Amino acid sequence: MYWEENIETAEASELKKLQLRLLNQTIKQAKKSPFYQNFNLNEVGSLEEFQEKVPFTRKQDLRDQFPYGFLTTDLEKSVRLHSSSGTTGNPTVVFHTKKDIQEWTNQVARCMYMIGMRKGDVFQNTMGYGLFTGGLGFHYGAEALGALTIPIGPGNSKRQIWFMETFGSSVVHILPSYALRLYSHFEELKLDPKSLKLKIFIIGSEPHSEEMRQQIEQLFGVKAYNSYGLSEVCGPGVGFECQHQCGIHIWEDYYLVEIIDPQTGKVLPDGEEGELVLTTLKREAMPLLRYRTGDLTRATSNKCACGRSHIRIDRIKGRADDMLIINGVNLFPIQIEKTIMGIPGVGKNYLIEIKKENYMDKLYIKVEVDKEIFEGTLAGLTQLQNRITEELRSEITVSPIVQLSEPGSLPVWEGKAKRVNDLRDK
Amino acid sequence: MAYHLSIFVENKPGKLENITKILSEKNINIYGIYVASAGEFGVVKILTNNLEKAYQTLKQEGFTVSKRKVTIVLLPDKPGEMHKLLTILSSNNINLEDCYGFVLEAKAQAAIVLEAEKYPLIEDVLHSKGYKLLPAEKLEEL
Ligand SMILES: [Zn+2]
Repeated sequence: MYWEENIETAEASELKKLQLRLLNQTIKQAKKSPFYQNFNLNEVGSLEEFQEKVPFTRKQDLRDQFPYGFLTTDLEKSVRLHSSSGTTGNPTVVFHTKKDIQEWTNQVARCMYMIGMRKGDVFQNTMGYGLFTGGLGFHYGAEALGALTIPIGPGNSKRQIWFMETFGSSVVHILPSYALRLYSHFEELKLDPKSLKLKIFIIGSEPHSEEMRQQIEQLFGVKAYNSYGLSEVCGPGVGFECQHQCGIHIWEDYYLVEIIDPQTGKVLPDGEEGELVLTTLKREAMPLLRYRTGDLTRATSNKCACGRSHIRIDRIKGRADDMLIINGVNLFPIQIEKTIMGIPGVGKNYLIEIKKENYMDKLYIKVEVDKEIFEGTLAGLTQLQNRITEELRSEITVSPIVQLSEPGSLPVWEGKAKRVNDLRDK
Repeated sequence: MAYHLSIFVENKPGKLENITKILSEKNINIYGIYVASAGEFGVVKILTNNLEKAYQTLKQEGFTVSKRKVTIVLLPDKPGEMHKLLTILSSNNINLEDCYGFVLEAKAQAAIVLEAEKYPLIEDVLHSKGYKLLPAEKLEEL
């Protein structure tokens, strides 16, 4: 059941005690970095005291301190560097000591064990290897678990399917948008993915809705588990859904979790939606204190049916900077996905476009139709179009212009899907 | 009873041409085409001499396509015949989803393709009025 039973099922009070001890170690370690030297950081007596005294760290701080400002050790002690490319300005770089890699690996292995992956499973990792943490992070975790690991990387769908078929891949790590695209290649090959040994999909790296998860589970005949991580604090393995699929457990022996009001910075109680803030508790090369992830979610500390005491967060609603404002109404792309993916007749890809027309924002939603259930009448299509329009209107309170598209006609992406195209002048 | 194909298309230049190109490359003969549009998108109905081959070909090319039942009625190619036919259908409360025609022999015989919700009522009505219907197998050898 558990990779590390004692820590995974520890009583909440024990976890809190452990966190405080680790937190003080982390503060001590962080003070060695040029960035945290600027703050007057001292040992804290409680988590509350920590929240009162320690300011947030932001992504911009990581960029401003490029490249070594957060590094606490000699560079020789680091064994790995990962980086996420910024669209503007400096990239963020993250260093890892040998111990950091070991701990990261342990987190990923713990996550994989939690969802039922075992030695003997064949793990196909379709995420990009390289600077992106989704490749190597999962790779190390799967090997530590003892699974046969196929480091195939992204792309070349025919080859992906060939490996799945030939080596009986049972666990696949995949972008949710790519999973749907891969299915159409199965269709082309007239091969039913359910006839393969596929058992578990690990999906993550891009926000996706419950509806999309269910679609993936039905198409492939697998259980799909949501994976959460960010390269600033290590990468994947920060948190995972357990087999009960009722929220993402974040490992509290590795992270201190806070949810804050993104406007005021005030710490919010359990159950309220806000921005996820993480403090690393075991990182050596680059500890981060109260790091603002930008991800919006809610948290609950209630014990889970799986027996684990570690805090759970909701699936990520989006990043604070993903929020769209359409004629003054706030909405998240994930709300649109959730709505359209729940409607029969909708295919596997969609695109959101926002344009300015006559000084008004216009929201265009391009939706591919499902060719399997096309019955061939214009009336059926206009009904589908009207239903999508109506259901979106009631979900997001903005009236969209819904355009039906041919399957396979909307753009596809090699990496993370970029489904929002904001064409308004900024 | 016969079938034609219904294909979902976006309303963009070249879409129809793409379909006819694919079919002509496979040596499939098109008898009639009908386009029903709802602005940004529409459906193209196509009657061919080889339903199965056309269907499989288009499907393989990634088109969203389905087969629809139609009734093909033979009419003398002269003024007033079409009106007579439509009057009979409307007086029997039969609505048409599509209706298009093609001439089989100039000034002698035309074929009208009717797609109606009320199937097989439409065929019973036409039979009772003495119309001749074109069966599916005849399409292969027109
Ligand atoms: Zn659980």
